[in-house]
Amino acid sequence: MTALEFEHFCLSRGSMNIRDVSLALEEREIFALLGPTGAGKTLLLESAAGFYAPEQGTVRLYGTPVQDIPLEERNIGFVYQDYALFPHMTVEDNIAYGLRVRRVPRTKQNALTRELAGLLGIRHVLKDYPQTLSGGEQQRTALARALILKPRLLLLDEPFSALDESAKNKLYGEVAALPERFGCAVFFVTHNIREAQRLALRIGVMEKGRLTGIRPAGAALTETEEDA
Amino acid sequence: MKRTFSLFDGASLFITALVLLFLTASLCTLAAGGLPFLIDALRSQEVRFAIRLSLVTSTLSTLLCFLTGIPCAYALARCRMPLRRLCRLILELPLSLPCLVAGLCLLMMFASGPGRLLRDFGLRVIFEPAGIVMAQWMVNIPFVIRLVRTELEALDGRLEFIAGMLGASRWQRFSTVTLPLCRNALIVTAILTWARAVGEFGATLMLVGVTRMKTETLPASIYLNLSTGDNGMAMASALILLILSGAALLFSARFRRRTASRMEGAAAL
Repeated sequence: MTALEFEHFCLSRGSMNIRDVSLALEEREIFALLGPTGAGKTLLLESAAGFYAPEQGTVRLYGTPVQDIPLEERNIGFVYQDYALFPHMTVEDNIAYGLRVRRVPRTKQNALTRELAGLLGIRHVLKDYPQTLSGGEQQRTALARALILKPRLLLLDEPFSALDESAKNKLYGEVAALPERFGCAVFFVTHNIREAQRLALRIGVMEKGRLTGIRPAGAALTETEEDA
Repeated sequence: MKRTFSLFDGASLFITALVLLFLTASLCTLAAGGLPFLIDALRSQEVRFAIRLSLVTSTLSTLLCFLTGIPCAYALARCRMPLRRLCRLILELPLSLPCLVAGLCLLMMFASGPGRLLRDFGLRVIFEPAGIVMAQWMVNIPFVIRLVRTELEALDGRLEFIAGMLGASRWQRFSTVTLPLCRNALIVTAILTWARAVGEFGATLMLVGVTRMKTETLPASIYLNLSTGDNGMAMASALILLILSGAALLFSARFRRRTASRMEGAAAL
């Protein structure tokens, strides 16, 4: 089944214009969107979550226009490039937020939070505030917060850009295992071609608001795409 | 690095010195004139009534401003409602309205047919203490809406969006993310609103007049005592008003510092 589908999607925001983007993302697929800064990748990712309504075309989540699904029922996990953690909550409260607002019993909240924190290696910072964490720990916290509700779709905006090489290598494996472990499709944005090839099954290339092509990850990219 | 002294620095220092001179002279005059009468004023039933009425009405009007202003500000900052810009213009229009004119508008409104209807339903404001709360609310509501809206617009809207995607309803997003993040700014707004309400006179004068021991707030007490030539008591009342305003200003500065350090922490993320 198609997890996410853009059909002739158009949107303008400030100087950014996304024109006629059509792409489909299958269940449990990892799809990378590659492109230089200012290509419109983040805007497209936010539109996939329904942050912006399309000016033309549609965005469908499991067959339903995303705008028709109430925000709290979309079941999408979103990790921003700067993580956008709740600064007034501890790591534990950040991760458990989705469970808390859904009134999951406290004991179950604690158990699930600790289990996921253990899986992502951030159990030791559960009582800390996001401001005190390293980039990698913040990234894992944001990932844990997005995964705790077992989303159907995970959207990642340049998730590795603030990390050093060793942290990146460790997290590549964790992200690659997400569809299997959590049953979700992953749509991630990057400007690093090696990152895209290592994680994704298919790579979409975006330039100046247009999707210029979709290739299998193993296929050779053109010189322009390489530059992206 | 060598420090340079620009024309702007000079102008700024000159104006600061002028303002300081003016403030010091005014405060010294007020203190010299009011201090000898302060104890008498605090013992006087009339001044105590004025202090009590000022504190009660300003607290009530501040609460009312928050109850009505925060939802309006939130809607203006966050909701995609139709005619949002027009609503914003209308809601913040009274900011540019002189207080006397605002009071006159209220008086005309409550003296007209619909106003009389409200009076029949028990909402008596003209020449009544309830009118003081109404006048203070009228003067302060656009101020509250402007300050709260500005604070809400400065907050990262993505945090609420993420909270929504994690299953939070609009109320949960507001109460668990938005409200805690702008808590200190709201406290500062409340203190400033309260201080403005305590010192409000123009609109109150037009709507409820100045009746001794009935609608006599602290500013009204200054006015009444000056009118009857009791300058000492007027200055003592002014001194009390000044102490209240000064305390509010100090209190708000404390919270403003906390807000600034919190924002620095959040910006580091």
